[in-house]
Amino acid sequence: MSWVAGAWQSLTGSWGVDHPLLLGLLVLAALPLAASPLIRQGIPSVFLAPADGLSRAVSLSLRLAGSVAILAIVLGLAGLHRREQMIARQGTGAHLVLLLDRSSSMDNSFADRAPSGDQEAKSVVAKRLLDDFVARRARDRIGVAAFSTSPMPVLPLTDHHEVVRAAIAAIDRPGLAFTDVGRGLALALSSFADDEDEASRAILLVSDGAALIDRKVQETLRDAVARTPVHLYWLFLRSRGAKGIFEEPPPGENTPQANPERHLHLFFQSLGVPYRAFEATSPRAVEQAIAEIDRQETRPITYFERVPRRDLARPAFAVAAGATTLLLLAKLAERNLVRSVPTAAAARPQPAVRRAA
Amino acid sequence: MSADPAGDGPPLQPLAYRLRWRPHGIVPGAHPGHGEGTEGEFRRHVSLLRHPDPRRLDLRASLRDPFGELHVRQYAPRRAVPVAALVDLSGSMRFGEAVAGRVADLCALIAVSAQRAGDPFALFGADAHLREEKCLPFARRRGQEEDVRRRLAGVRPTGGQAVEGLIEAAERLPARRALVFLISDFLMPASEVARLIDALWRHDVVPVVVEDGLLDVALPRWGLVEVADLETGAVRLVFMRPALRERWRRETRARREAREKLFAERGLRPFALTDPLDTEALARRLMEG
Repeated sequence: MSWVAGAWQSLTGSWGVDHPLLLGLLVLAALPLAASPLIRQGIPSVFLAPADGLSRAVSLSLRLAGSVAILAIVLGLAGLHRREQMIARQGTGAHLVLLLDRSSSMDNSFADRAPSGDQEAKSVVAKRLLDDFVARRARDRIGVAAFSTSPMPVLPLTDHHEVVRAAIAAIDRPGLAFTDVGRGLALALSSFADDEDEASRAILLVSDGAALIDRKVQETLRDAVARTPVHLYWLFLRSRGAKGIFEEPPPGENTPQANPERHLHLFFQSLGVPYRAFEATSPRAVEQAIAEIDRQETRPITYFERVPRRDLARPAFAVAAGATTLLLLAKLAERNLVRSVPTAAAARPQPAVRRAA
Repeated sequence: MSADPAGDGPPLQPLAYRLRWRPHGIVPGAHPGHGEGTEGEFRRHVSLLRHPDPRRLDLRASLRDPFGELHVRQYAPRRAVPVAALVDLSGSMRFGEAVAGRVADLCALIAVSAQRAGDPFALFGADAHLREEKCLPFARRRGQEEDVRRRLAGVRPTGGQAVEGLIEAAERLPARRALVFLISDFLMPASEVARLIDALWRHDVVPVVVEDGLLDVALPRWGLVEVADLETGAVRLVFMRPALRERWRRETRARREAREKLFAERGLRPFALTDPLDTEALARRLMEG
């Protein structure tokens, strides 16, 4: 009996119906064994009709079609569906947090002016490119965080890329005032806190500038990075006139206050995790940087694909329609055994018995 | 059929029938009987010494005789012969409303003919058992044909194979030879038909075969037909196609030949009851004896 229970469990585990009571009507599927759509025509003896294999096959298939039609209709009415399922799959990808700068300078073009004509704002470029990026990386779990004066959690790590892309689509909203990279980074790191996967983790920081990171915040970040090793990518949207992060500034100017981007770069390098910075001075450069990140983060990853509940009522009704069509064809092919009886009776002269009188 | 149970249609024309045998019995009737009588149908001249009855002396024949022998006329007595109709009321007879139609016509015609000839007529209807309400005892009264028709008009044959019931009916027939019309479609197995006919060995049996020519002629070339046995209720789906139609007809022909062979082995000449009843063929068959 245990295997029966097991089979039942596995059946109800992945399949279900909306209205179980309607399943009682499944008994009706036995009806075609007793009746058929054809009209029964009396015959003195059934042995008058020759026994015929093809006829028997047609008869059997019609009964079967009737049963299948009733079964399918009942299952369709009961709302047969396959339950929502989670399937573990192997793929290549990463757990990725996009950390986006929402400071107001992002609304300017690369020339650090309000965009006009065919120029694009940095946020618009970032949005377009990140959107492409997310679209290419279908297997990643992606989270989104933003920062300005204070960090803003937007999305936790998720498989739902539509939501991610919606979040990305919103980054060209007019930005806020300042840039607090440190707390934003802490927020991004905390996104990985309850992520126990073996997958590679990465933070993609998109910003067009930086600010000083507080000493205390620096310590916190070092701690957090030591606990959750991540890959760090910084996409620096460098406006014209802004100082580069790779350039050695002239002595005297090399202070964090004067040159925060450069010093942020140095801080990231000192964290002891794989880190790459891309200095993008134009939309094309941004594209190349993103392609580079795309290439780097391809480690095997176990991800769970959520197969949504699948309604089988429509296929059930389609099967029922097919079976019913078969029955309809049979009904249309029906013929009378004695087709000329009424006309013969009408055309017949008065019985000879009478005529003789 | 236009069978009229109320009996207000035109009167039936009685048919004459002959027997190839001489009935026993004492009741006077219309058929030349067994034995020698003093009146009735002239049979032959015999010598006065052999039949010493001078009242029947045939002077003309005696005078014509060159040897001068005296001739006495001898007659066959006219006797009545019981006529019975045994009707199969099994479910298969429901096909084409045969019982209420042509079978009732036939039985009424036989009844009126028997009555006209002065013969007693009886009707027996039987399915698996003899059905008393479908029976009429031997009688010679007028108007019996209306009774016959009324009995058969309302009948709805439903029962199983009628062989047993018809054998019961055979036991009720008189112990002397009678003229028996055995009306059935003879669709039972050949051994059963043989058993039934053997139970009627004493009598002059006319097997009346209720045929369904329509069933044979009007078979569709193509199509699906679901047939149900009127007797057993068995259902069979037939996918008609020209080859199967040919086979169906071939089998029907073979069955008919086997049946006719069975009758011929027992010296019976069946009469095919067509729809409608062919009175002229019946008259011819009856005059043949």
